[in-house]
Formats: sequence, structure tokens, C-alpha cells
Amino acid sequence: MKKKEDILAATIYLLPSVIVFGLFNIFPVLYSGYLSFNRWDGLSRTGKFIGLQNYSNIIKSIEFWNSLGVTFYYTAGITFFGIAAGLFIALLLNRRFPGRTIFRTIYFIPVVTSTIAAAIVWKYLFDPGSGYINIFLRFFHIPGPDWLTSTTWAMPVLISLGVWKRLGFNIVIYLAGLQSISPEYYEVAEVDGAGPVTRFFRITLPLISPITAMLVIMSLIDSFLVFDQVFVMTNGGPLYSTDVIGLLLYRNAFRYFKLGYASSIGMIIFLVIFLITFLQRRFLSIGEQSSW
Amino acid sequence: MNIKRVILLSAVTFLLSVYSFAEGTKEEAGKEGGKINLEFWNYWQGKNAEVLKALITEYEKQKPNVTINNVYIGWGELLPKLQTASAGGKMPDIAAVDLVWMPKLVRSKTLVKLDPFIEKSGVNMKDFYPETLRVSRYESAYYSLPVSTNNLELFYNKDMFKKAGLDAEKPPVTWGELVSHARKLTIRDGSQSGMEVFTQPGEGLTWQAQVYIWQTGADFLNSSNSAPAFNSDGGEKAIGFLVDLIRKYKVAPLAKWGLFGQGKAAMVMDGSWMVGIWAESAPFNWGTARVPIPADGKPATNMGGEQIFIGKTTPKAEAAAWNFIRWLTGKDAQLKWDMETGFMPVRDSVAEDSTYKEWITKKEPRLLPFAVNQKYAHSRPPITNYPEVSDIFSKNVEKAFYGKVTVREALTSAANEIAPMLK
Repeated sequence: MKKKEDILAATIYLLPSVIVFGLFNIFPVLYSGYLSFNRWDGLSRTGKFIGLQNYSNIIKSIEFWNSLGVTFYYTAGITFFGIAAGLFIALLLNRRFPGRTIFRTIYFIPVVTSTIAAAIVWKYLFDPGSGYINIFLRFFHIPGPDWLTSTTWAMPVLISLGVWKRLGFNIVIYLAGLQSISPEYYEVAEVDGAGPVTRFFRITLPLISPITAMLVIMSLIDSFLVFDQVFVMTNGGPLYSTDVIGLLLYRNAFRYFKLGYASSIGMIIFLVIFLITFLQRRFLSIGEQSSW
Repeated sequence: MNIKRVILLSAVTFLLSVYSFAEGTKEEAGKEGGKINLEFWNYWQGKNAEVLKALITEYEKQKPNVTINNVYIGWGELLPKLQTASAGGKMPDIAAVDLVWMPKLVRSKTLVKLDPFIEKSGVNMKDFYPETLRVSRYESAYYSLPVSTNNLELFYNKDMFKKAGLDAEKPPVTWGELVSHARKLTIRDGSQSGMEVFTQPGEGLTWQAQVYIWQTGADFLNSSNSAPAFNSDGGEKAIGFLVDLIRKYKVAPLAKWGLFGQGKAAMVMDGSWMVGIWAESAPFNWGTARVPIPADGKPATNMGGEQIFIGKTTPKAEAAAWNFIRWLTGKDAQLKWDMETGFMPVRDSVAEDSTYKEWITKKEPRLLPFAVNQKYAHSRPPITNYPEVSDIFSKNVEKAFYGKVTVREALTSAANEIAPMLK
């Protein structure tokens, strides 16, 4: 009797969030999966079932492979620099010095800044003529490039914005991790004569490796889905050198009205992220076990 | 246990009340009766939006039982929003959209066919410029009316002309003069370029390039829109000219659009809508001229603008919406609209009106080149996949701008990609 009522109560309590989650997350994903087997222009009521044709068209398209490469470039840049810089700054902020809460706040501000606003500011900063970056470089007689219209520099600029935006989050998580390490480890190591470098590589790094793994996965997923700052700053140009996969999907869905095709791009993104996460979890968990 | 029951009960009541509340509002909306609310979606902002609001207020005074709710939606979001609205059966009563979107929208079957209304109200369709009606028609019926139009002509910075020792009242007329002027106007440290060319991917590049193609006598697509036509001698000459400006003479940089307005380029081809904007904001003296043409070429320009249509709703709302769009596209409202915003007339009777003519020569003569060239304006091909065709064209031409491929290679590759899409 009691059990039955508990189940009923649980169902009713969960219902609102299940409905909201189902309606706005689960259903669209499933529907998008269904759409990926159709040709649909988004304006008419129904589409036409075409089987796997969308997928085979994607695999044959040069644009898709270009976008995939560009997205990996972006993702690798964000993940590497975001995590390296995040850990470095977290280590600095983990010491006792006056005003360190202020620094923590400052580093966290970009995380809560609107991406679009930041992207617009970035565009001004990197303006070849009147942007502060090139004015600064000119001061040292270095001719700055036309950042956002150069096939070499446009992507690094986008990565710099992405790292700037993510950094605060990485720092906060790392700080929490660093503070959970018991100071006794360091004290013992110091007694044994371990220098700061040894202490970092032998104690800090292994003990926060689960946090690193989590940050890497989150960073991979987030940056793989990048859209807004690229849309604002380069719109994929020049010469499609920043045409990330999110942009390719958007263009096909909302400019060309190829909703089936765009859905299958979405499904492929899902598969790629799933695969990366799966492999990484496996790889990392094996690594953890053998190193202890 | 008892507390659990109380919470359970309150949760259920809460859910039920939310449900009944939603029901209630729906009923109330239906009861309003006499007064008609029309929702009007468009992307006009700034001065254009102010003028539109004034016109709407004027209309509402004439028709006290009609309220028009003017909804601004950004250019980039309006089409996706209409797409959702159309698929979900919740079309706005009225929308004014970029004419390029019309071929796609008319096929959605959620636009109201205007022919019965046109017949009943006796609208003289011959008064509209025929090119502005090309996208309004589908399967020999009208689905929209042109509400504004514009075209591209040359803008030049008079201060820079004077500084370079050029006559500020004699802008270039031919491509040759454009090059020689641009070379004199370019300062090699990168602070000032002679000409601004649209070099980044997308429709901006395509619709600018089309002007140069048409000037040579070539076309973008063939006359039945069934095959590319830009991969011709004329097309090659036109794109070759732009590539030369960038790579050979180095008078146009590979840069983000907007240099002329920032005072970093001496000349640019831009739309008539910029006359009003720069008249207020440009911190330099500038003039306009018809776009320079090749020595053996002919005048041409590209036509932009907005089409206004009625979404399928209820017969009563549709009739009220018709009355409004008929009024807004009518001569009186158009006269005010064009003179206040600087849009080009869509009606011959407006262009020929003495008030309009007097206004343009006295008040804003910089609009004259646009008005003169409106009759040479081409409209872009009314095909459904135009946005994709345009992107493919721009992607390939951009490669030529960046010197990665030759002009011929770029156009051939674009044509090969586009040809199967037109079948």
C-alpha cells in the first residue's frame, strides 16, 4: 500500500519536469532523427521519405568534411588552451594573497557575459585599422594582419574568444579540485625533499585528473557545438576557413530550407560527440586504474 | 504520510488550475468581437520603422475598428520565424519580406491569393514596375505586392576626391575611369583604399557581382532559369574586373564590409537606403553617381526591396489585412513612404508625380542616380533555391578574390555545382 502510493506521488512530482524535458529535449531529438530520413522544406506540411540519401549526400559533400575539420581545429584549440590556462591560473589563485576573491570574480565575468556581445566587442578589438590589437602592435612597429578576413588568423581569433569565455568556468572547477586535496600530501612530500615541480606532477596533477577528464569532455561537447560567435564574427568566412559544423547545419536548415539534410548533420554531430565521450571515458578510466 | 497527501493534492490542483487558466485565456481572445487586431511582421528599423509607425497611426485613425500591431523581427530571423509559423499554421496577418524569399514562401500554400481582392478593389497592377512584380506571381496568380524597392549605385567620398586632386563633381563613368580614380585615391599604408568591393561569402557578394555581369550584357542564369549563364565571356570579364581591383591594382582590400562608412574607402557601390543613413551619420562629404559601366557595356543595377503579403488566417482578418496592404501600397501612402524613407518608387504614378520629382531634385538630389537607373534594375532569378545558388556562386568567386583559383576556374566550378540544382 505504502509503496504504491509512493510511486504515485513520485510520478506526479516528476511529471512537470518530465513533460518539459520530454517536450523540449527528447521529442525534438527523436523528431530530428525521423526528419533525417526525409526531404522536407519546412514550409509544406509533410516531407518525403528518402531513406539514407541525406546521409550519403553529406558524406559525399566537400563542405561537410571541411566543416568537420574546421570544428575539430576549433575544439582542439579551445580544449587545450582553455584547460592549460585554466589550471595555471587556478594554481596562482589557490595561494593566499590579498584580493584573491576579486580576481576570482574578474575571471568569472566572461562566463556570464553574453556571447553575442563579447563577439561584437572582439570584432572591434580585431578590426585591422581601428582595433586596439593592431593599434597596440603598431606601437611596436609590427604590422598587424587583417585578422578576421585572413584564412590563417580568423580561426585563432575565434579560439581566443572561446578560451576567454570558458576560462573562468575551468578556473572555478579547478580551484574546487585543488582545495579538496589534503595539505598533508604536500607536507609529507616536502619532508621527503620533493620540490614544487615534483609536487605538481606527482601530487596535484594525478589527484585532479578526474576533474581534468570532466572539463575536457565538457569543453569538447561545448566547443563542438559552437555557433553564435562564429555567426557574428566571420559567418564562416573567409573561404570557409571558419565554417564550423553548427553554421553548416544552420545554413542548410534556415537559409536553404533543407530540414531533412540539416537534421542528418545534427545526427552526425551527435554520433561524433557520443563517440568521443565514450572513447575518452574508457580510455581515462583504464588510465586511472593502472596508475594507482 | 498526511503531509505527503497534502502536497500531492496541491500539486494536482496546481496542474489543473494551470490547465483551466490556459483554456480561459483562449476563450477571452475569441470574445473581442468588433475590433480587429492585425499582426504585421517586418524587419524595418530606425527611420523606416518610425515612418511606418506614423503611417499605421494614420491608417488606424481612418479605420477605428482596426489595430495594427507592428512587430519588428530582424532580417536574419524573419524567414525562419515565418517558416515555423507557416508549418505550424500560425501565420501573421501581414508580413513584409525581402523579395528574394518570395519564391519559397509562395509555395508554402499559407499565403492568401490576392487576385480576387485585386479584382474587387480594381487595383491597377500596370502602375507597378513589372520587374517588381516578378516575384509576386506564382502559377499565374498574385500572392504579394511590392511595397518598396531599391537599387545599387556608386557612392564616393568628396573630401577624399579633393585631397587626391580629383574633381569632386566628376565621379567616374566607365570601368577604366573607376580604376584610374581608385588608384589615385588609394593610400598605400592601408589607411585608405580607392574602392570597396564585397569580398566575404554570401548574398552580399553575389548581388553586387551580378550588377557587373549584367553591365557586360551577360546574365546570371539563362532566360528560363534552367542553367547558369555567368560562366560566359561577359561573366568572366565582370568577375575579372573585380579580381583586378583587388589583386592587380590593389585598390580594394579583402576586408569586412563597411569601409566606406568608416571613412576608409573612397568609393563603394551600395544601396539607395544608405543615402538616408549617411545623410545623417557620415562625418564626410559624399556624392552619388550611376555605377560606372564597361566601355562597350550598358547600364544595369540590382533590385532589392520588400514584398507585402497576407497570411492565411480567417476570412475577416484577411479582408481587413487586404484593406491595409492596398492602402499601404497605394499612391498616397507610397508617396509619403518613399519621400520619408528614400526607398525607390514601385509605382510609375509615384515616380512621375510632381511632388515626388520636386522633392528628389530639391531635397535629396543624391537619390537621382538611383531613380534614373531604377528602370535598368534587374531582379534576381525567382527560383526557390536561390539562397543556396547564391552561396555557391559567392564561395567560388571568393576563391578567385583570394587568388586561390583563376576567374575561369571559379566560374566553371560554380556552374558545375549549380547546374544540377536548376534541373
